[in-house]
Amino acid sequence: MIKFLFKGIWRDSSRSRLPILIVSIGVFLTIVMSAFMAGVMGDVVDMNARFSTGHVKVMTRAYADNEEQLPNDLAILGVDSLEKALETQYPHMQWVQRIRFGGLMDVPDEKGETRAQGPVSAMGIALIDTDDNKGSEGQLLSPEVQRLHIAESLKSGKIPQAPGEVLLSDAFAKKLDIQLGDAITFFGTTMYGSMTFKNFTVVGTVAFGSQALDRGGLIVDLQDAKQVLDMEDAAGELLGYFDNGLYDDESAQRIAQRFNQQYETTEDEFAPVMLRLKEQNQLASLIDYTERMSGIFVGIFVVAMSIVLWNTGLLGGLRRYSEFGVRLALGEAKGHIYRTLIYESVLIGIMGSVVGTLAGIGVAFWLQEKGLDFSGLMQNVSMMMPTVYRARITPETFFIGFIPGLFSMVLGQALSGIGVYQRDTAQLFKELEV
Amino acid sequence: MEKNKIISIEHLTKRFPVGKGEFTALKDINLEFRKGEFAGLVGPSGSGKTTMLNIIGSLDSPSEGKAMVLGRSIADLSHQEAAALRNRHIGFIFQEYHLLPVYTVYENVEFSLLLQGMEASKRKKAVMEALEWVDLTDKVDSKPAKLSGGESQRVAIARAMVKRPEILLADEPSANLDAKNAHNILQLMKKLNQELETTFIFSTHDEKVMQYLDRIISLEDGKVVKDEKMKVEF
Repeated sequence: MIKFLFKGIWRDSSRSRLPILIVSIGVFLTIVMSAFMAGVMGDVVDMNARFSTGHVKVMTRAYADNEEQLPNDLAILGVDSLEKALETQYPHMQWVQRIRFGGLMDVPDEKGETRAQGPVSAMGIALIDTDDNKGSEGQLLSPEVQRLHIAESLKSGKIPQAPGEVLLSDAFAKKLDIQLGDAITFFGTTMYGSMTFKNFTVVGTVAFGSQALDRGGLIVDLQDAKQVLDMEDAAGELLGYFDNGLYDDESAQRIAQRFNQQYETTEDEFAPVMLRLKEQNQLASLIDYTERMSGIFVGIFVVAMSIVLWNTGLLGGLRRYSEFGVRLALGEAKGHIYRTLIYESVLIGIMGSVVGTLAGIGVAFWLQEKGLDFSGLMQNVSMMMPTVYRARITPETFFIGFIPGLFSMVLGQALSGIGVYQRDTAQLFKELEV
Repeated sequence: MEKNKIISIEHLTKRFPVGKGEFTALKDINLEFRKGEFAGLVGPSGSGKTTMLNIIGSLDSPSEGKAMVLGRSIADLSHQEAAALRNRHIGFIFQEYHLLPVYTVYENVEFSLLLQGMEASKRKKAVMEALEWVDLTDKVDSKPAKLSGGESQRVAIARAMVKRPEILLADEPSANLDAKNAHNILQLMKKLNQELETTFIFSTHDEKVMQYLDRIISLEDGKVVKDEKMKVEF
């Protein structure tokens, strides 16, 4: 019977063409929207994880409470032993120390006089690594360099290989007319509140594609940061990353709960606390909001498509009353006719969903590769967000369109088919004579 | 059930709601049909012929009285039971043929057997046999749009007869056919009536049909005004 129905749909293009087209368009838009949202959210979460939040982050309670002020005077002391303990306790995670700090950057001329000056937001990471992690060109790349995609973000110069070498954001370097090899002086305060300064050499410039990072960023080696800030065996943040590089909220929650339980009873404001990614940078509300918006978007599609398909089904049904009358005469029950209409809608829904999914994945793939550049609109955005937004094709992309595609088609047909049920058999049969 | 009596109608009345009132299409009808009859309901438009066929065909039910078809009371049948009765025991032929346009001749004839859930090999044999009766085995793959009026009606006959029904109801089957095709169709139906002992009941006011009938029941304003046996010779 299904084969029989399929033949009917296949041969009667007026019965299938419009519904398939409508379903395809809806599914196409759902797929593109879903992949784009997944890409955008993935990029935002990924960027936050890599640069700021980790998959989990350990800080002191006091530091966590004032995190936006980068209060290194509240940093974790004895961080090396804590890092080792975490590595033992959670062997499937990678732990890294980070120090974020701010200060003033002075650019001297050849006589040592100030040529340019500006506030700088700096990050101390393990830039220089003694392990044999080679990049594509054979240079040593630390896990942090790989994690932050520094090699890919390098606009000029090279990755620091020796103490005292730093990277500067490309936009900042251009603004202050800093050339590779130029010396810069950082002025700031140590974790104990005394003034400190240190000369660095700019060996490379980077652009991460985020206004928040690219506006005035300085990347220094962790040991240099420790030295200049007087943070021997201390670090503001200890970030944890899952080995596979993918954020898993359930695992992160479990790990954070287990870690925080150890310090539940202490009142010490310098006791460490672990926060998962979703608890930082208001990412939870952003993710929830995006998921809600995606749900609403898909819901609107389902309702709109169902109404259109209902209408299409009504028109098609009117055209087919003669056929229904004949089928009744041949001994088909009304319920069976109604069920075959639903089967037909499933077949049409599948066909439309396949067409829409293929088209949607095609466009999503293009968006994944090319992306949409919103940098012009994000000049003053302080949130850590990429400027080029890309779609991301996930396993979900391949089936998510079938939900609105099938559901709306079946719902539309079910509503329009009620007319068959409500009509008296004799009345339906009488339509034959019309 | 008396031997050979396959349809029994007693004091049948059928009313339809019209606006706030009612229209009585059939009034106190009493009729019986026996196996193998070749009978016709004749009368002008609005006389109740089609309503009578619909009730016998279990597409409609009486307002009053009783209609027994093959031992079943039409008024007591559920939708499913009525559909099953039509599917297995009653065939329909229409004035406009009403073939399903997207399906081939073979598929149109096959449809009611598909509904019965008959297995493919038996189905194929039955369809080809039905198409042989109407001499259309060379048109199995044709679509209805490619057929002439006579051929279309022969397909409709094959479709109605493929399940070998006890009763075949034909509503003005020759109305859209020229004289030659009408005679061909009627001769074919008469032949099937004799060979398969199927009871044919026509609704008609076509003289060409009447000359083939062995019983003519005249209806006027919903009442039987005459019920006469005819002597037909071929």
